[in-house]
Amino acid sequence: MIAAPPTRGSGRSLLAIAVVVLAALALLPVVGLAVFAWMGPAMASLALGPAGQEQMTNTVLLVLSVGVLGAALGTANGWLTANCSFAGSRWLRIAQLLPLATPAYLLAATLIDLGSRNSWRIHGLLWAITVLTLTTYPYVFLLSTESFAVSGTRQLEASRSLGVGPWGSFRRVALPMALPAIGAGVALSGMEVVNELGAVELLGVPTLSSGILQRWQNDGDPQGAVALALIALVIVSLLVAAERQLRRRSRRWLMGSGGDRQAPWALSGWRATIAQLLTLLPPVATLGLPLLWAGLSLDQLQSEPPEELLTLGSRSLGLGLLAAALTVAVGLVLAIAKRWIPQPLLQRLSFLAGMGYAVPGTVLALALMLIGGPWQLSPLLLLVWGYSDRFLAVAKGGLDAGLERIAPSVDEAATGLGCSWTAVLRRVHVPLLQGPLLVGGLLVFVDTVKELPLTFALRPFDFDTLSVRVYQYASDERVGAALIPALLILLLGLAAALALVPSLNREASVTAD
Amino acid sequence: MLLPGAAALSAVVVAGLQPPARSQTAISQAVEIGVYSGRHYNTDKALYREFTRRTGIKVNLLESKDDALIERLRTEGNRSPADVLVLVDAARLDKAADLGLFQPARSASLMRDVPLNLRDSRGRWFGLTRRVRVAVVNPKLVNPATIRTYADLAKPKLKGKLCLRDSKSVYNQSLVADQLILRGEPATRAWVRGMVANVTQPFFTSDTPLARAVAKGDCGVGLVNTYYVARMLAGDSGNADKALAQQLKVVFPNPAHVNISGAGVTKSSRNLEAATKLIEFLASPTGGRGYAEANNEYPLKGYGNNPILKGFGTFKADGVSAEQMGARNRQAVNLMQTNGWK
Repeated sequence: MIAAPPTRGSGRSLLAIAVVVLAALALLPVVGLAVFAWMGPAMASLALGPAGQEQMTNTVLLVLSVGVLGAALGTANGWLTANCSFAGSRWLRIAQLLPLATPAYLLAATLIDLGSRNSWRIHGLLWAITVLTLTTYPYVFLLSTESFAVSGTRQLEASRSLGVGPWGSFRRVALPMALPAIGAGVALSGMEVVNELGAVELLGVPTLSSGILQRWQNDGDPQGAVALALIALVIVSLLVAAERQLRRRSRRWLMGSGGDRQAPWALSGWRATIAQLLTLLPPVATLGLPLLWAGLSLDQLQSEPPEELLTLGSRSLGLGLLAAALTVAVGLVLAIAKRWIPQPLLQRLSFLAGMGYAVPGTVLALALMLIGGPWQLSPLLLLVWGYSDRFLAVAKGGLDAGLERIAPSVDEAATGLGCSWTAVLRRVHVPLLQGPLLVGGLLVFVDTVKELPLTFALRPFDFDTLSVRVYQYASDERVGAALIPALLILLLGLAAALALVPSLNREASVTAD
Repeated sequence: MLLPGAAALSAVVVAGLQPPARSQTAISQAVEIGVYSGRHYNTDKALYREFTRRTGIKVNLLESKDDALIERLRTEGNRSPADVLVLVDAARLDKAADLGLFQPARSASLMRDVPLNLRDSRGRWFGLTRRVRVAVVNPKLVNPATIRTYADLAKPKLKGKLCLRDSKSVYNQSLVADQLILRGEPATRAWVRGMVANVTQPFFTSDTPLARAVAKGDCGVGLVNTYYVARMLAGDSGNADKALAQQLKVVFPNPAHVNISGAGVTKSSRNLEAATKLIEFLASPTGGRGYAEANNEYPLKGYGNNPILKGFGTFKADGVSAEQMGARNRQAVNLMQTNGWK
């Protein structure tokens, strides 16, 4: 969708230049990789072989299953907590953010450790699907619930006043309106799944990302690894294209803010019980299990000196905040440009810039090292570049979906009233996009704090972060030593998740005004 | 309204991102060396500090996974800030040497302290600690006396009782390489097939859950590195694990496969002398003891003073050179994967 461009002359070309520069920065590693793969006998390595076929099948199965289950769980919980009321529904709404705090590799390690103490083998594809669904569905929840709580309230009111029940209103009104947001959430979770390394390795599921690592580091065939990564990229592109197609089919704009918010549908009896179970299960599983594990492992606690923990924590916090601010800013520029400049090439560029999320962290790290080496770029700069590149899609997904719900007439009205494009951005879009901006920023923050492969590969001397420490200890099978840094990651993630609460509440109050 | 918050946050950011203090006085020109290490023990850091205290040479440390360090060093090439590369497992040391990441170090004390079969023949890397891959047996299910060699694990009698870690484990790869050298390809292939036929559970992805499964009777026998059992016995992973490990019987196959962790001076190092000094320190009886004890490993010579390791008894090393094991790694991996060892 293209809104009437309020940009004219120099403003517009400035924006266009910004898009080109930012997209070039984001795409440089990917292009570098393609060139690198081309230089070697990579096309020969494209032959998958039996091992490669298994990796590919597993990856596709994971993406599809996690996508479907995550969409169902995220949408159900988004709807239930936004538009229904049952005992504890307010708290359970906030609790949906808790799974964000838990890295998938931590959940997998916890499950395996708890299992092996009780003679359960936690292993294989089904467990991988479970772990990844639980850790990625909040993407769908966050993006869809915003749509349920804010955008469709007028239409919902209309359908209610016409006597349509809660299920009918959900199916016929709210769901179609939320499809772009759900699609964006599923696409994000799909990219996350394609990229996941720690959890699938621990659970013994060979996927493309582990195959990439194996080709690169064990077989000493980086070109072959990149070729495999390009296959992963194709899978993700298909996913993203499907999502865009879906979004094109359901294009609706928010027409003004909602009127009086009607009381949510009250659930009781078995309906309330099911709603409670559905909304309680994921937070209990993702946060409760690691905490239970921590409780059971207290006798093996090996603490590091507090000042060491403080240093590790402040590095994770600092990197997270920096990456979040930078990524959201870049995402905003790209999303706005996509709305205002109807130039097909620029549109495509701004779309492609988000593809970094689909490049496995290890491969992106390789690309950045190849680029950074000759120019002697500081490892920290490369690291932040990597984070922004990788998580741009996270910030952009929500912004794109948010912008799509703002009718083009809003832009037209503002320019008609004599606003310059910067003024439109500042006075209209940024306030209207506060929700997606905050959500995007916090998601990037949490993802950065949890991030492993880039940090692992690119950090300078004596610069460990919490996640690096956890992974090192966990891969050495020393749970006791990993415990406290792991809890600190959970704590940072929780803090970020709680920072989202006002935004969840504001949605409710916006609609109540 | 946001400004004070933003200011506070940026203060945290700046504090958090501040690279650790380095001696930046150009006048003092203290020697600094960079160490890339595949080991992650807090006691290692104490050891490096001790080295700095003795020699005045400052150690900058980057700990990561071994393969990631090899790749990083490779990409950084001559610009790498690393002077010493510490890796776990013979195959990785040999791989790094093959990739030309090391330069030879000449040192009489290293020649003296590191046995011939635990170092590179061209002086590119030196073993620092030893670990043994042993059978852990649950005596209630399997008579420990029936396991005398690695070959015994392939006996059909153990069907459904043998548990193994997957073939991604470099420890298993080196064990198979070791057997290739000792027994030749046909015998090793038959051995791998026999073991795989005995395995009915999914392959484990780590050693500790495997040891637990044996102790609990979910498996009768498994292959693990000595230090995983030693850690459990030391109570590092809690009292429940300690009690479990006490159910296990550690059996050293005769002869036993010995693997190493080791280090070499990087090709890019401009501090050959200082880097060699660090490796000498780590291989010396004092430094080496600290390195071995950090992870319940055996020192380069003898059995050390670790009471838990002493409790395991003695073993006869098969004497295969670490360098040869590294050279056979590719063949070993291929053999495992084509014969069902997932």
